[in-house]
Amino acid sequence: MNTPDFKGTHLFDRLCWAKENLDGVQSDYRVVYEDSIDECAKILVPDPNWMACALQGGILPPVWVYWELAKDEAQPDFKKHTRGYLLHQTEPMPAMTEEEAIEYLIQKDVPQHVWKTWNEGNKPKMVICKKEQLPQTREWRNAWRISDDLELAA
Amino acid sequence: MAGKIVADTLEHSTAGSIATNYVVEGSAKAWFNLNAATPALRDSFNIASITDEGTGQYEGNFTSAMGNGDYSANGSSTVKGSSNSFSNIFTTGDPDNTYGLHSTAAIRGNNYSYNASINSDPQMLQVTVHGDLA
Repeated sequence: MNTPDFKGTHLFDRLCWAKENLDGVQSDYRVVYEDSIDECAKILVPDPNWMACALQGGILPPVWVYWELAKDEAQPDFKKHTRGYLLHQTEPMPAMTEEEAIEYLIQKDVPQHVWKTWNEGNKPKMVICKKEQLPQTREWRNAWRISDDLELAA
Repeated sequence: MAGKIVADTLEHSTAGSIATNYVVEGSAKAWFNLNAATPALRDSFNIASITDEGTGQYEGNFTSAMGNGDYSANGSSTVKGSSNSFSNIFTTGDPDNTYGLHSTAAIRGNNYSYNASINSDPQMLQVTVHGDLA
């Protein structure tokens, strides 16, 4: 199924179209990251409907749009977004592979200080894995950490 | 977009009329149904991902951002025990974002089990968000 020409269409309307026309895609990928030494590892789980949009193409805005909105919200006098049009009027992303979609999602939903410096330090701050590689039960969930034995990739 | 109808009012033949802004402003802008024990999303709308932040702590990340942080989010959950379902309370956000988070990009909440008096991971967690989109 081809995606309609959505440039200039409100992102919410594009998501309505996707919900009606695309089947969800459950990804086996998980992103494990640590953004504080005082907290347990966090795990990012992709949404099946969102993944379907990413694989389809022509629906999601480029990730830099979210960065711009985050900059606005970080301003001390922020009340409400005035540049929401960036979500709706920017040329949508073309179809992505599942791996590209995970990279996009990391840059959207993982704190920037984590993914920009994930390989600095004694061990990785972030790891992409398959869900089967996570502990099979939630026991001691609040003590989960990225293994110290992992080596930094080049 | 094809099939677009522009109207300020919807009128029923006998039941009266309603302004379309009631529909636009009153519709849920995001929702999700999460199996937090796995965790995995069963279904959702306007959610890009879930962040599992620890026992009973989850964050739903929006695809289409909210316009401000003053939206309303409601959650409920169930933990099924050996003989019954336990009551939980799911809290989202507070004015200082100490216990939860209301940002335009994400909603974070805590699932607290009354029976166990501790955060817990429910088999079914449902959250709905109402408010204005960016």
